[in-house]
Amino acid sequence: MSNMTLTLPPTESVIKPKITVDGHDPRMLISMRNIWKTYQMGSESVHALHGVSFDIPRGEYIAIIGPSGSGKSTLMNLIGCLDTPSQGEYWLNAKNVSDMDDDELARIRNQEVGFVFQTFNLLARATALHNVELPLIYGGVGSAQRHDMAKKALEAVDLSERMMHKPNELSGGQRQRVAIARALVNHPSILLADEPTGALDTHTSMEIMDLFERLHSEGNTIIVVTHEHDIAARAHRVISIRDGLIEKDERIK
Amino acid sequence: MERSGDQGAKPHRYTFAPILTERFSGLSLLRLTAIWEAFRVATGSLRSNKLRTALTLMGIVVGVTAVIAVVTIIKGLDKTVAQTFSSQGSTVFTISKNPQIIKSREEFVKFNKRKDVTHDDAEAITRLCSACWRVGVAGNALETVKYGDQKAENVRIRGVDPTTMFDIDGVTIDAGRIWTDSEGASGHEICVVGTDMLKNLFENSPPDRVVGQEIRIAGRPYTIIGTLEPLGSIFGFSRDNVVYIPYSTYAKSYGARRSLVIFIQVPAAEQLEVAEDQVRTIMHNRRGHTPEDGDDEGFALETQDVFLNLYGAATSNIYIVTIGVAAVSLVVGGIVVMNIMLVSVTERTKEIGIRKAIGARQKDILTQFLIEAVTVTAIGGAIGVGTGFGLAYVISALIGFPLLISVASAVLGVGVSSIVGIVSGLWPAWRAAKLDPIEALRAE
Repeated sequence: MSNMTLTLPPTESVIKPKITVDGHDPRMLISMRNIWKTYQMGSESVHALHGVSFDIPRGEYIAIIGPSGSGKSTLMNLIGCLDTPSQGEYWLNAKNVSDMDDDELARIRNQEVGFVFQTFNLLARATALHNVELPLIYGGVGSAQRHDMAKKALEAVDLSERMMHKPNELSGGQRQRVAIARALVNHPSILLADEPTGALDTHTSMEIMDLFERLHSEGNTIIVVTHEHDIAARAHRVISIRDGLIEKDERIK
Repeated sequence: MERSGDQGAKPHRYTFAPILTERFSGLSLLRLTAIWEAFRVATGSLRSNKLRTALTLMGIVVGVTAVIAVVTIIKGLDKTVAQTFSSQGSTVFTISKNPQIIKSREEFVKFNKRKDVTHDDAEAITRLCSACWRVGVAGNALETVKYGDQKAENVRIRGVDPTTMFDIDGVTIDAGRIWTDSEGASGHEICVVGTDMLKNLFENSPPDRVVGQEIRIAGRPYTIIGTLEPLGSIFGFSRDNVVYIPYSTYAKSYGARRSLVIFIQVPAAEQLEVAEDQVRTIMHNRRGHTPEDGDDEGFALETQDVFLNLYGAATSNIYIVTIGVAAVSLVVGGIVVMNIMLVSVTERTKEIGIRKAIGARQKDILTQFLIEAVTVTAIGGAIGVGTGFGLAYVISALIGFPLLISVASAVLGVGVSSIVGIVSGLWPAWRAAKLDPIEALRAE
């Protein structure tokens, strides 16, 4: 593993970032180094991210906040390994994922990332238990063990009573807890939540945020992407994104 | 390398006891798990769209049903034909005025100009043909047979001489006896009846009770002296609906001038050709074959190959037509499956996105949709095999031939339809596998 300092030549971009480009910090769970994301819109190039760099150590509870169009969703997709940067390096759990192919990324998503979505994204026809088992199926875990792990994950989010229910038989908060169990079942490095309370009422939102807090206190690394300040305020560190750049990166707890 | 390194470094991030799994312990396990999951998803999605699934299956079902039914029916007929013709075997040939199959009006006119085949011809053959083993003559008529107020219609009356004709025909006596040579020559009203007579006239009385009874054929009284063992039926026509009478008796009723059929049997199939040549020469001499006759021999010499060839030609045509029908409906069925799979991929874009987000690789998605396509077509194939056998069963019961359920054709039916599933599922599955997870997650 190369963790020596690298000096990359400046790129042909108009805006030259002032950040020193160097190798990843092996103590960090996440190391983003001068990340650019450029989309081709017809003949025009649109830069969604203009060279973003930050580190996240293990066990952090972090919020990424920004208005729509700020590049926050792009950043979330990159952190979640759904996409690769146009430029720059992204180290996740000591692996350089910036130039992995589709199947390698799928493997990383399976093993390292637990997604929690705004609209829960559960499989409608599958029971809660089966939804939670799904990452283990793609991870190749045998059925008995899979069953056991999924049950324990559902117990951890207080849903052991509703394991055999389908999503349409569950409340919004319960669905989101199933999604959280699914995200956690594979013991991922990061729990990545995209507007996790966006589809929930205030009371349920608070319950979910309490659950995140508990999971954080149990040692999980949590990244919440949101545009709501009171949700971001529950985190210990807030990164504010605006126009594809980090505007602010502050520790609040 | 990395995995073993960081499993130690990785703390258990939530409190419930984690199970350290050796995730990549078995590739085969991984594949099996994925395939089983794909199968579950496939059956689930098929169940939730029952009407659509049924319509999708249609083409495949029709194609496979056609093939299975036709193959089963023809196999059953083949067996019947083989059994029927082997009872006389390929050791028998016939001399007659007209061939059994007349192909045109011209032929009909030509054959009608021929001389009748007579008892004298048969005697000449008996005397002169050294390779011939048994020679007999037979005349046929269809009559109504009565016993008391019981009546059987369209009974084949077969006037035969000598009694070796029973052997040539391959029939054997069950109860009673055959007439003696002197009885046969004297033109007595005696007969030997097939089992259908017992059924139709005597309410299934045992054969020995029937012997001695008097029946009326075309109004004339005949005494039953024997009954025959049953032969069964072919193509729905009973071979037991027959009454044998001596030829002399037949000639009294139907006239000696009617053209006969001469049956000639050789001891073994190898002698057939020699015997045919001898008989042909004898007949040419008797007919005084002249240039005016042109290319016409003046008689028809036939073996049962005529029937077998005709039968073979007919069934091979049926096979070709059926394979055509099956191919068309399988292609159409395949296109329907492909279309439905494309719809299914579009409908389930979100689901594909979710699966990809939590770690499904391209081949997992590809496998899932391929298995779904194959499941549909294999179920269609299995239903087709079932309905095909069912159809064959009904037809075999109606016509009356044995039903031969062939495992090979069942396997072939399901196999071919599975291949149709793979072929038509490949493109939709590939599209699903290639979906961008971010785009897919955004879908509704």
